[in-house]
Amino acid sequence: MRRVGLAAACLVMVVACGSGGGGNNQSATPKHGGTATIALESELRTLDPLDSSLLVEREVFYNMYDSLFTIDPSLSIKPGLVKSWDTSDPVNYKFTLQSGVKYQDGTPFNAQSVKDNITRYKTTANSRRKSDLASVSSVEVVDDTHVTFHLKKPDATLLATLVDRAGMMLSMAAVQKGGQNFSLAPMNAGSGPFQFVEWKRNDHLNLTKNPSYWKSGLPYLDGLTYRAIPDVNAILAALKTGDIDIARTIAAKDVAGLKADSGFIYRSTPALGFNGFELNTGAPPFNDPAKRKAVALAIDRYAILKNINFNIGVVGYGPIPPSSWAFDSNEKIYDHANPTAAKNTATGFSFMYKTTSDPVLQQLAQLMQAELAAAGITMNIQTEEFATYQQECANHQFQACGVNWSGRIDPDGNTYAWWHTGGDFNDSLYSNSQVDAWLEDARTTTDQAKRKQDYDNAQKQIVADAPYVFSVFGVSAQISSTKIQGFTLYPDLMIRMGEVWKS
Amino acid sequence: MSSAPLISEPQPVRAARVGGLALAGKYPRVTLASAFVALLFLVALVAPILSPHDPLAVNPDNPYLPPLSPGHLLGTDELGRDLLSRVLWGTRVSLPVAFVAVAVGFFAGGIIGLVCGYAGGVTDLLLMRFIDALLAFPGLILAIALVAALGPGLRNAMIAIGIVAIPAYARLVRGQVLQLKHMEFVTATRSLGAQPLRLVFGHILPNLLNPIIVQVSLSAGFAILAEATLSFLGLGAQVPTPDWGQMINSGRTFLNNDPWLAIVPGAAISVAVFSFNWLGDSLRDALDPRLRS
Amino acid sequence: MLTYVLRRLLLMLPVAFLVTVGVFMLIHLTPGDPALIVLGEDRSPQAIAAIHQQLGLDKPIYVQYVIWLGRIAHGDFGRSITTHQPVGTAITERLPATLELGTAALLWSLIIAIPLGTIAAVKRGSLADYIATGITVAGVSLPNFFIGVVLIFVLSVSLRLFPFGGYIPLGQDPVESLHHVVLPAIALGTAGAAINMRFTRSSMIEVLNNDYVRTAWAKGASWQRVIFIHALKNALIPVVTIVGLQIGGIIEGAVVTETVFTWPGVGRLAVESISDRDYTVVQAIVLLAAFSYMLANLLVDLVYRWVDPRISYS
Repeated sequence: MRRVGLAAACLVMVVACGSGGGGNNQSATPKHGGTATIALESELRTLDPLDSSLLVEREVFYNMYDSLFTIDPSLSIKPGLVKSWDTSDPVNYKFTLQSGVKYQDGTPFNAQSVKDNITRYKTTANSRRKSDLASVSSVEVVDDTHVTFHLKKPDATLLATLVDRAGMMLSMAAVQKGGQNFSLAPMNAGSGPFQFVEWKRNDHLNLTKNPSYWKSGLPYLDGLTYRAIPDVNAILAALKTGDIDIARTIAAKDVAGLKADSGFIYRSTPALGFNGFELNTGAPPFNDPAKRKAVALAIDRYAILKNINFNIGVVGYGPIPPSSWAFDSNEKIYDHANPTAAKNTATGFSFMYKTTSDPVLQQLAQLMQAELAAAGITMNIQTEEFATYQQECANHQFQACGVNWSGRIDPDGNTYAWWHTGGDFNDSLYSNSQVDAWLEDARTTTDQAKRKQDYDNAQKQIVADAPYVFSVFGVSAQISSTKIQGFTLYPDLMIRMGEVWKS
Repeated sequence: MSSAPLISEPQPVRAARVGGLALAGKYPRVTLASAFVALLFLVALVAPILSPHDPLAVNPDNPYLPPLSPGHLLGTDELGRDLLSRVLWGTRVSLPVAFVAVAVGFFAGGIIGLVCGYAGGVTDLLLMRFIDALLAFPGLILAIALVAALGPGLRNAMIAIGIVAIPAYARLVRGQVLQLKHMEFVTATRSLGAQPLRLVFGHILPNLLNPIIVQVSLSAGFAILAEATLSFLGLGAQVPTPDWGQMINSGRTFLNNDPWLAIVPGAAISVAVFSFNWLGDSLRDALDPRLRS
Repeated sequence: MLTYVLRRLLLMLPVAFLVTVGVFMLIHLTPGDPALIVLGEDRSPQAIAAIHQQLGLDKPIYVQYVIWLGRIAHGDFGRSITTHQPVGTAITERLPATLELGTAALLWSLIIAIPLGTIAAVKRGSLADYIATGITVAGVSLPNFFIGVVLIFVLSVSLRLFPFGGYIPLGQDPVESLHHVVLPAIALGTAGAAINMRFTRSSMIEVLNNDYVRTAWAKGASWQRVIFIHALKNALIPVVTIVGLQIGGIIEGAVVTETVFTWPGVGRLAVESISDRDYTVVQAIVLLAAFSYMLANLLVDLVYRWVDPRISYS
C-alpha cells in the first residue's frame, strides 16, 4: 500500500491537516519546546518545490518555505509573504511584500527574490511549475517591497496557485550553494518556521526551529521529525506506541477505534478533492451517453461511503466539494442508487474497469461490480500494476478507470484540466463547447458571483453527461496524540506546524 | 521464494525403473503423502459441491463476521463473502496454476537439458550459458518483472513461474543424460546398432524418471508458493477470483477487523505446499539408497 | 585449480552479458512510462516529452542498451529516475538493512537446522527423525509473508512485544536494532531452516558412518565427544557451502519479507523500482544480485573441490 496522489489519497485514507474548521483546542497557553514526529505514508523524492510532484513533499515544504499567499480554513486567500495586493487591473497584479523578512541563510527577502524565484520556476529545464505559472508573462521589480506580475491574460486562479509550490520563495544564494544536491539537502533555503537539518532517506527527515522566523514568537516547537511509513497499519501501531505524534493518514476502518480512544485526537473537515471513476467517451461502450448515465444511476454511493469509507466523509455529487465557495448543494443529479432507472436507460452491456492492486481499491471495485450487476450491467475488473494503469488511463486506452483527485484550492483546479476539451487530465476525451466556455469565463473573470454561476452551470452539465462518476467526498483530519495542541485543520490536507505546540 | 528448495544433494542414478506401486508398499511415508495430495485434488474437484455459499456472492451488509457465525463456519470477508467457500475454491486456482507452471518448466527445461546433454560440444556450451543466465537472475524479481511486462493475471503468473523453473529441469535432465551417456549398457546398445532416437526414447528417458518425479513434486510445492507470493504482491489472480495469496493481501489490511481473513488462506497454502513437499521428500528418501538405514 | 578458476570466470562473462540483455529488455519493454510516474499530478505532453528526451528514452531501444552498457563498463550506473540519486548510493544506502536482515535470518535458520539435523541424523529412522524432518518441511511450506503477517499480528499488534518493522542500524543502537530485526528474520529464515537441516542431517549421517567415527564409538568415546568433536566439524562443511549459496541469494530472498515489514532494504527497493519503472535502479540491482549469486556459486564449488578432491568437474 504505497499509493499517493492520484490513486487513493482522498478516498479511503483520512488525511491529517492543519487547524481550523472543526474547532481548536486552545484551552491552555502555548508552551515552547519539544519536537513532534509526523508520519508520512510514503518517502519524498525531492525537497525542492521546483521539481516536486508528490503530495507528501508539500507537507514538508509548508513548514520550511513561505509562500506568497496563504489560506485560512475557509479557503479564503490571506497574506503570506505578500502583505497586500491590488488585482483591480486583471493583467497587472500589484503586490506589496512583507518587509524585514530574511531567509534562513540571512539573505533578505525582497522583490528581486520574488522575480528570481518565478523566473527559476518558469525557465529551469526540469521545472514542474511551468504550467502553474503559464499565465504569468513577467515579474516587474518596482522597488524592494513592491512587485507587479504581468499576465498574458486574466487569470482568476493565480493567487490560489501562489499559495502552493509555485509561490514558494527560496533564497537563490542557498539554491546556488546547494548545487546539484540541493533537492536532497536544501540548507537554509526558506523563510518558514522550520529549517532543514538532515534527511536520511527511508529513515527520518529532521527540521529545526528557525530562530529568526519573521512571525515573532513562533514556532513553539524546537523541531520536527518526518518519518516515511508506507503501511497504514504500521502508522497506526506507531501512533499507539507513541513513536509518532501525528499521522498524516490512517485507514478509514481504524478511525472509529481511534476516536473512542481518549489518548488520541481525531477531528476532521471536508477536503478539496473528489473520488470516483472516469469513463472513456471516445470509445464503446461509453461513447453512448445513455450507458454512462445508466452506470451513474446504478452506483450506490451510500453503500460505498458506508462499506469502504466507514461513513467518513459525505456522498459526492460533483467535482466541487462542500469545502469550496463554489459548492452547489442543490445539485444532486445522481443521488441514491436507482437500478430500475438504470435498467430503463441502458442495460445488458459489459465493460472493463481498470484499477490497481491496493486492497481497499479492490474492495471498492468488487462492491461496485455487485451494484452494477443489480442493474444488469457487467463490470469486469482489470487489476494492473500502477505504472501500466497510469499510462493506459492517460493514453485513453480504457473503458473505465478508477481515479481520484486530491483537489485544489480554487475550483478551477478541480474542473478545467479534467473536462475542458484537451485538458491535461481529460482522459475521458470529454468535449462540450458550452462547458468549455463556462470554464474559460470562470478562469478569467474575477467577479466571484459570476464565477459561481459558471461553475454551477458547468458542474450540472458535467455531472449529467457523466464522463466521470462521482462517489464520495473525503475529509482532512487531525490524527494525533492528545499532547498536540494549536492544530488548525485546513481542507487542503496540509499540516502547518508553525502554531502547533506540545503539552 | 528462492531456488534453494530445488537444490538436491548428489544422487546416484538407478539403472532400473522403480514402479510407483512397489514404492507404496515399502514406504508408508510415500503412501501417506500421496494420499494427502490426492485429497487436495479431490477437494479441488468437489469444491463447488462442498462449498456452502457462492464464493463470489457479495453481501455488503454482513462484513467481517467472525468464525462460527450462523451460516458461515469461518465467517465472512470484507465484502460479506463466505470465507470457507472462498478457501475451498482456492484449490481450483492454485492446483491448476501449479500444474501448468511445472509443465512449462518441465517441458521447456527438459527439452533444453536433453538437447544439451545428448549433443554436447558447442551447443551444450552455448545453451547452458542461457540457463546459467536465467538462474543467475534473481527468481522472484524475474517473476515480478515478467508479470509486470505481461500484465497481472493468473495466466501470466503461470508462465512467469514456469520460466523461473526451467533451469532446475534443464540442469537435472542434462546431468542425468551426461551420466547415462557414459554407462555401459548405453555403449553396449549402441554397438548393437540402435538408432540415436531409439536410444533416447527407449533407454535414456525411462531412467531419468526417478529424480524427475521428485523434482516435479517439489516444484509443484514451489509453484503454489510462488503463485501465492505473486498474488500477495497484487500480480497474480484478478479479483474477484478466490486466490489464497490475494486473500492474505486483503486480509493483511483488515487484520484488526478479522485476523481469520489472513490466517485461513495462509493455512490452506501451507497445507497444500506441505503435501507436495512431503511427497517429494519421501520419494527422494525412498529412491536414495544412501539414506536408508 | 587455477585453470579451473580462470575457466569459470571466463564462462561468467557471457552469462553476465546475457543477464544485462535480459534485464534491460524486460524492464524497458514493460508497459508503463517512468515519465508519468515522475510527473505525478502535473502532467502535460510537453513535460512528458521533455523527460523522455532528458532520459534518452526517445532513442531506439538497442541504442539505449548500448549506451547503458558502455556506461556501466565504466562503473557509471546512472541516477535513479525518480529520486535523481546516484544508483550506487541508492543501493549502498539500503544494503546494510538487507545484510542485517539476511544474516539474522541465516542465524535463525542455523539455530533450528543444526540441532534438529543432528538429532535426526543420530536418531535416524526413529520418530524423532520424522518429527524433526516434518517440522522443517512445514517450515519451508509456510509462505514467508504469511509467517510475517501472523508474527506481526500476534507479537507486534496484539502483544506489543516487538515493533512493527522499521530498521535501526546496528551501529546506532544494537539492542533496538536486534529488537526490530527479530520478526522479519524469523519470517525470512524459517524456510532456509528446512534446507539447512536436510543438509546437516544427510552429511551427518555420512560422517557418522565413516570408519573414523565408528572406531571412536567402538573405543568407547562419549556421545558428546563423538558428535561435537568428530562428526559435526566435518559434517558442517557441506552445510557451510549451502549457506554460502543462501548468502549469494540474499537480495532475492529478502524481497517479500522487506515488503511485509516495510524494511528499507535492497529487496524492497527492487520491487518499488520495478513498480516505478525506475529502469536504472532495477538494472543495477539485478546485476548485483546476479553477480553475487555467480560468485557465491564459484566459491562454493571451489570449497567442495578443496574439501573433496575425489569430486571431479568436467
